[in-house]
Amino acid sequence: MVNVALIGCGTMGRTHANSYKNINNANLIGVCDINMEKAQSIAKISGSHVYLKFEEMLENENIDVVDICIPTYMHKEYALTSMEARKHVFCEKPIALTLKDANEMVRFSEKMSVKFTVGHVVRYFPAYKRAVDAVGQGEIGIPKLIRTTRNQGFPKWSWEGWYMDYEKSGGPILDLIIHDFDWINYYFGDVERVYAQSLNGKAKEQDHCVATLRLKNGAIAHVEGSWAYPEGSVFRTTFEVVGTNGQIEFDSLKSCGIEKQINNGHHITSYLSPTAHSMEPYQAELREFINCVEADTKVSVSGSEAVKALQVALAAIESSLTGRPVTLKNYIH
Amino acid sequence: MKEKVKIGIISFEHMHALSYSKALCNIEDAEIAGIADADEFRGTQMAAEFNTKYYKYYKELLETDLTGVVVCTNNKMHCQVSVDAANKGKHVLVEKPFAVDIESAEKMLKAAEDNKIKIMTAFPMRFNSNVLEAKKLIDAGEIGDILCIIGINHGKIPSGWFLDPTLAGGGCVMDHTVHLSDLMRWFVNSEYKKVYCECGNLIHNKNIDDCGIVNVEFENGVFASIDCSWAHHKNYTIWPQVDMEIIGTKGVLEVKACAQTERIYNAKEETVGDVAWNESGDEGLIREFVDVCKTGKNPFVSGLDGAKAMEVALAAYQSAAACRTVEVEHIQI
Repeated sequence: MVNVALIGCGTMGRTHANSYKNINNANLIGVCDINMEKAQSIAKISGSHVYLKFEEMLENENIDVVDICIPTYMHKEYALTSMEARKHVFCEKPIALTLKDANEMVRFSEKMSVKFTVGHVVRYFPAYKRAVDAVGQGEIGIPKLIRTTRNQGFPKWSWEGWYMDYEKSGGPILDLIIHDFDWINYYFGDVERVYAQSLNGKAKEQDHCVATLRLKNGAIAHVEGSWAYPEGSVFRTTFEVVGTNGQIEFDSLKSCGIEKQINNGHHITSYLSPTAHSMEPYQAELREFINCVEADTKVSVSGSEAVKALQVALAAIESSLTGRPVTLKNYIH
Repeated sequence: MKEKVKIGIISFEHMHALSYSKALCNIEDAEIAGIADADEFRGTQMAAEFNTKYYKYYKELLETDLTGVVVCTNNKMHCQVSVDAANKGKHVLVEKPFAVDIESAEKMLKAAEDNKIKIMTAFPMRFNSNVLEAKKLIDAGEIGDILCIIGINHGKIPSGWFLDPTLAGGGCVMDHTVHLSDLMRWFVNSEYKKVYCECGNLIHNKNIDDCGIVNVEFENGVFASIDCSWAHHKNYTIWPQVDMEIIGTKGVLEVKACAQTERIYNAKEETVGDVAWNESGDEGLIREFVDVCKTGKNPFVSGLDGAKAMEVALAAYQSAAACRTVEVEHIQI
């Protein structure tokens, strides 16, 4: 049995808490948030102990894993503190805001001999996995052109509006499409250079970005992310992988299982795409990490892979600000 | 009976000549007065099909009492044929891309001006009902000011001279960029400033660029990306795909110009295909050209529009070769 303590009881914290409930060898023993109400509501899910102070939670010697679900700009501090206390760390994506911080986290986890992983959950989304399987089985030949989109409205819902503060979140390039950077990087090849365009705060409460990636193996990727859709827009992701022998297309809105239409004053259409229990992506990534901790095996999403995704995102941000393509330096950690 | 406007077709090298000829047959006050094609077999066949006279040499066709000609030669020949036609006082409709270099485009535009005839670019998408509706919505301010546009013009790889850069002026970047670069310039109402491109021979192994992402920036700061790849494999269910996601300050338009389709499953042939139930735009294009021939009015989509769209493709090739952004070289007229 692996004992988990969770810090950050927002949306992700709730998602993780619900997932642990279904992981037999995990026990969510503590939850922590500066907001008592939020912490209590999540503690109820598994009957966890509530902490208002992280340091107090860490003093509990039974804790094996700290699950970090707080805003990006705080990741490093809490990860290092947890590692210092010899806890294994699951950290939500993106790993950090700078390469320096991210590398420090990876190095420190090695130094303290604790396991460290980052929540690049797109790898666990069934549709994305199925595509990777199909590519692996040679169904479309060698992948050469990859397009991804990840579109939504401006994230006004966040605590203290931290998503909207690019100093804290990195904006949509660093927070949103880093998912796709990781997916592409990991399954389709390392990135050689990046050219990106973004509104970069030019429009009020709207941002939209595109990044063109040239991979070292010659393939091209077009990665699009949006915080520019009207409020209330349906979150939507798509991908297209074109290979030498075929192509795969996915659109979350076209392949969802339920379209719900209701009228409570306004006509609202919503799209639901429930997945089979065994395929639920957040549960799958956490289960895998818990198993790694329990069996003392290598983690699936390593810290250095998270650093790589971050490096692409930072290059994209640099390109979008300078208007020039950015060639990635060999990353060192 | 009122006299019909006499239109000549110069070459069926580009397969669009066929749909343009069919469209001409549907216009009551127009007639195909002759077909010129250096390929005797193809030319006589087409002349028989459209019940008109065949000319081996286009210059002979230009000696007749035509009002206008449709130029569907290979891209390289556009210049010579258009200039000759203009010098004979014929209005000209040139297949896209308008030309293969700036110098040729300038010659064509100058010949038109000198001879006081109208030269028009064959951009059927300008007459596509979805595109026209989008333009109307944009001009009515429904999505506010345009911030950026993400465009995809995927299609199947053509054959023959299309794969010879000396005749086509390039591969997919020349062939497919221009449709969207024209539409975007029309929507945004600003001129192109900067271009970045990643492209290559990635999918079909035909020794010509078949994959390309072109990132552009307008004088007014709007940015856009154009995916001009011949990305569809032979069993793709439809041809072509012309999509634009237009992000505005008040909303988003998703335009799928060729998506009005229905699906046919043919069990006998074991095929699945999507067929369009809406007219693509060819008819409107040809009707407009007949109007230009009748009245001498300025065409709805001019030769200069075609030249401006081509400038983007030329800049894209420069960018791809140099691995940097390039300023768009504008035509001097």
